[in-house]
Amino acid sequence: MALFDEQLGEVRRILADWREGAGAREFSAGERAPWPEGQSLVLEEDTALELGNPSVASLSLLLWSEGGDVEDGRITLVGPDVPEAKERNVPFAQVVIAGGSFASEYDSYRDARDAVYDTRLHGFSVRTMPSRQSIWCRVARVAREEGFSLVDLGAAFIEALKSLDEVSAAQVVFVTASVEDVKKLSGAAAGAQRIVDAMMKMYQEENFDCETCEYQEVCDTVMDLKMIRKKLTEGKVP
Amino acid sequence: MILSVCGKGGVGKTTVSAVAAQALSARDGVRALIVDADPAGGLGMALGLTPRKTLNDVRKEIIEEVKAGGRDEKDLAVSLDYLLAEALTEKGNLAFLSIGRPEDVGCYCKVNVILKDAIEGLAGRFDATVIDAEAGIEQVNRKVMSPVDYVLLVSDTSAKAVRVAETIKGVADSMIGGEDAGLLVNRAREGREAEKIRMGTSLEVLGWIPEDDTIRRFDGEEISFLELPECPAREAITAALEKTGLL
Repeated sequence: MALFDEQLGEVRRILADWREGAGAREFSAGERAPWPEGQSLVLEEDTALELGNPSVASLSLLLWSEGGDVEDGRITLVGPDVPEAKERNVPFAQVVIAGGSFASEYDSYRDARDAVYDTRLHGFSVRTMPSRQSIWCRVARVAREEGFSLVDLGAAFIEALKSLDEVSAAQVVFVTASVEDVKKLSGAAAGAQRIVDAMMKMYQEENFDCETCEYQEVCDTVMDLKMIRKKLTEGKVP
Repeated sequence: MILSVCGKGGVGKTTVSAVAAQALSARDGVRALIVDADPAGGLGMALGLTPRKTLNDVRKEIIEEVKAGGRDEKDLAVSLDYLLAEALTEKGNLAFLSIGRPEDVGCYCKVNVILKDAIEGLAGRFDATVIDAEAGIEQVNRKVMSPVDYVLLVSDTSAKAVRVAETIKGVADSMIGGEDAGLLVNRAREGREAEKIRMGTSLEVLGWIPEDDTIRRFDGEEISFLELPECPAREAITAALEKTGLL
């Protein structure tokens, strides 16, 4: 089983349900002019819309696939977009899926992750907490007045990811519909984080003693993690 | 502009910091970060702001992140940014951060480096930052104040308080270097007292703050200094802050 196969399968099943129930709207990354970049501090008093405040549900997932099944350039929105949101504070999930060839998993993961982390847009602040898979964003009043949309954010992610050598396709799903909808992705998010944690631990600590490792059960189910371990131990032990 | 308010304990640093916050809160288009770097935590009380989380809580959470493993510096940096945002208490154009009181032991130098970098990064996103420093020289000595542009020294009319201010300036010059600094004399009965201090110190004296019943009442009744009306002390502090370039 490839690194994120199980989580990709789960996300696709949930996405299919949303699409079937007419709860999802589809957009293309190229359909709007790129939103300007910018490092933004958005204070509460300047905020038009808050997405994923720690007091409500939020989730952030980054997955990749080498199977050629990524819907390149597709941005799916489940729930209200920025101009339509009636509440000032909405739950938020963000799923970013990269497609391509990821031979060096650790470097590829970090490249893709950094591309997402480093995407900064004018009038939009974003904060992420990897261990909680949380994301917390604010849209400034000025950005909402200028027409900022989650489609702009998705397009910026897709552009950033596709600038990487290893990425040939990317798609993004945003969920703002309800806490329940966001929570549907929590299993996939937690699973993906366990895999990333296991991979990072292998590379950073170079400890290959499975008997003492808290991620043993993750590696037992994810074939690619075993292959990473094999690669590392072969490189380590002549 | 990052301004740190330093001095001996009990000279009125927190009052000066609170008035600085009040003055900044009234400025349109200015976004200000107010940091209570004194573990005693008086500034939050003076401003009527109760932080949900302190910098010390953030430090503990980051240590847990490091202990859990599987996080590189980038992950820790974004985590820190998230936790710092959680620790900010916002009111209007002000964001308030309290250092809290460390009660555990242990050395996590790597974390402290990230923490310091992050505070610098946070201050860089605001138009103005005011830090109410811990009494004495410890934070200057440990270079916590290294990103500061201006050290506002506060003393009362006692020789001891003025000497402490001079010591802080000396330490800041040798440890950090390059900041502007000035002395604000608190609780002076008349200008002559401040003039006498001016004659006996090498520090630039920015002004003097008279005893003021309005300040006393706000302190005594725990009224937020963000509501402080015009009064002689506020006027004197504001005039000194204008000389520092903060206002």
